[in-house]
Amino acid sequence: MAENFEQHSDVSAADLARLTQEAQAEATPSTAKIIWSEFKADKPAMAALFIIVGFILFVMIGALFINTPKMMETNIMGYFNQPFTSDYWLGADSGGRSVAKQLIVGSRNSIGIAIGLTIISSTFGICWGLISGYFNGYIDWGMQRVYDFMMMLPMTMMIIVLVTIIPHYNSVTLTLIFSIFYWEGTSRLIRSRTLAESEKDYVSASRTSGTNHWKIIFREIMPNISSLIIVDCTLSFAENIGVETGLSYLGFGLPSQTPSLGTMIANANDPNNITQYWWTWLPAALEIIILCLSISYVGQVLRRAADASQRQGAAD
Amino acid sequence: MSLIEIKDLKVHYPIRTGFWNRITDSVRAVDGITFNIEAGETYGLVGESGSGKSTTGKSVVGLEKVTSGSIMYKGVDITKKANRTKLDYNQDVQMIFQDSLSSLNPRKRIEDIIAEPLRNFEHLSKDDEKLRVLQLLDIVGLDADALYKYPHQFSGGQRQRIGVARAVATNPKLIIADEPVSALDLSVQAQVLNFMKKIQREFGISYLFISHDLGVVRHMCNNIAIMNRGRLVEIGTREDIYNHPLHIYTKRLLAAIPETNVNQRAAHRASRLAVEKIYQEQQSKYYDENGEAFPLIQVSPTHAVALPENIAKQLASQEGEVQA
Ligand SMILES: Nc1ncnc2c1ncn2[C@@H]1O[C@H](COP(=O)(O)OP(=O)(O)OP(=O)(O)O)[C@@H](O)[C@H]1O
Ligand SMILES: [Mg+2]
Repeated sequence: MAENFEQHSDVSAADLARLTQEAQAEATPSTAKIIWSEFKADKPAMAALFIIVGFILFVMIGALFINTPKMMETNIMGYFNQPFTSDYWLGADSGGRSVAKQLIVGSRNSIGIAIGLTIISSTFGICWGLISGYFNGYIDWGMQRVYDFMMMLPMTMMIIVLVTIIPHYNSVTLTLIFSIFYWEGTSRLIRSRTLAESEKDYVSASRTSGTNHWKIIFREIMPNISSLIIVDCTLSFAENIGVETGLSYLGFGLPSQTPSLGTMIANANDPNNITQYWWTWLPAALEIIILCLSISYVGQVLRRAADASQRQGAAD
Repeated sequence: MSLIEIKDLKVHYPIRTGFWNRITDSVRAVDGITFNIEAGETYGLVGESGSGKSTTGKSVVGLEKVTSGSIMYKGVDITKKANRTKLDYNQDVQMIFQDSLSSLNPRKRIEDIIAEPLRNFEHLSKDDEKLRVLQLLDIVGLDADALYKYPHQFSGGQRQRIGVARAVATNPKLIIADEPVSALDLSVQAQVLNFMKKIQREFGISYLFISHDLGVVRHMCNNIAIMNRGRLVEIGTREDIYNHPLHIYTKRLLAAIPETNVNQRAAHRASRLAVEKIYQEQQSKYYDENGEAFPLIQVSPTHAVALPENIAKQLASQEGEVQA
């Protein structure tokens, strides 16, 4: 059969190298490259990206050098020590514990949970949405009833109940518990786009080309909704920082011996702290505000950049 | 034996309603059609929008779940998935889609698009595969530059040629061409049709050529089936259909071919209005009491029409056709 093609085309094996080189010279940059270059053009977005990445690296590495149990010991000498002193850069709380060190370890814990939660719940939600939207019919119907059931459960209450009845838990179990309840939004979003995408002829073309369902779902359809996925992941990351923080603030998150941004903000529960000892809660609050703003800014730029390459894709 | 034999094919889409998703009704997109495609020929399937042409085409490539009926290829019924898999059916039967933009994955480079069927069916080495893609691009008249570009960088006509290249990649025996040129302007239409004809000559491919435009079909097809509301109303050779149309629906389609000769515009318009008038007045004669087409009646060895026997014979003798 190859001869058949040889006969009717002037192109032969001898031209292969030359033609490949010609084609490479004309190659179009990939979407990832387009997004990156648009990113480089936007200075504030770049700054936001550096803040996020730099800060995460800083707390991850910094926390390794801090002995947490020792840090959490009460030290009567440091009772509400003022900030900006040589022993306590950011002061100390009612137990004489360094706010700066707690902030580093607490950020590590909170951000670690947020990252873990985002990875687990987004991966699950994306797969659920893609499969449900692609297969349609009975599979979709069944998967959507599961979704409806999960949505029906009062989420915060369920988490509080689970946290209360599980005797020993740490960041990992907490992340897993959160993950059970945080994939639904993503899955619905992805499903609706997948439904629309599966109708397109390129999916039919892949099927007549002999490509199997799983390859079509993850290699053909998923790249086409990648901009949606990127944006959804960044936004849910920002949201997920708030999830743990909010729950710890209420007293149902991490145990009190494990510092987190939430437990630190909980210092503001005491009216004395709010007025006199502002350094016990303000740094953590500021940190969350700055982080979430940076993340959503990066998310917006990503969306804009992804849409731009999408627009290019749609323009003809 | 014909290349492919379609027998009493039906595709009904269920309409589901309510919480339990029960089937309450169905859309009869294709409702019992029978025809054969011979090796090497171009078979035309013509009808207005919504008549079920695409559904028929998709059933033949195996994209659509068939309600009943059979499609025989190499002696097996390929409406069953197991048979399609066993034969590597889609290596032999491919499709060119109506909308060239949506049929090419916007996130894939042209090389990966054209090589997709090769990777699944032929397992060539990397160099052989690239060579084949380059040859295919050459055959449809595109430069090697196209290799690493994305679909949106091409014009409609070029994209449709990429679609043709992908369909030809595995050297199939039959290609379903679903309105391959209806989205293109006239000059580009001719260009793409010529490529398709050239490829047919060189590779001995059969086409099932789907169109709503009898003007385009005239240049491509030897045998033509006219489809109306899921059923065939007339089957015949090009000669039968264009010179001796019997069914009012065929006559309407013929009258709808745009007249390019300016001097005859007025006459053309008058004849179109006349046909339309007959269609409005004589609906009951051409369709049964439910408004559906009658079963096909053979009026000559090549020509069949969906009319009651007596009317068919009468019309055929008026047209001066040789009786079967
Ligand atoms: N997935 C589906 N579910 C329900 N009804 C459908 C589906 N696909 C097609 N139909 C219906 O089946 C009928 C035939 O559709 P089909 O796409 O085959 O028409 P067509 O002849 O190709 O028209 P066009 O020339 O516009 O492409 C239409 O009435 C359409 O509404
Ligand atoms: Mg169609």
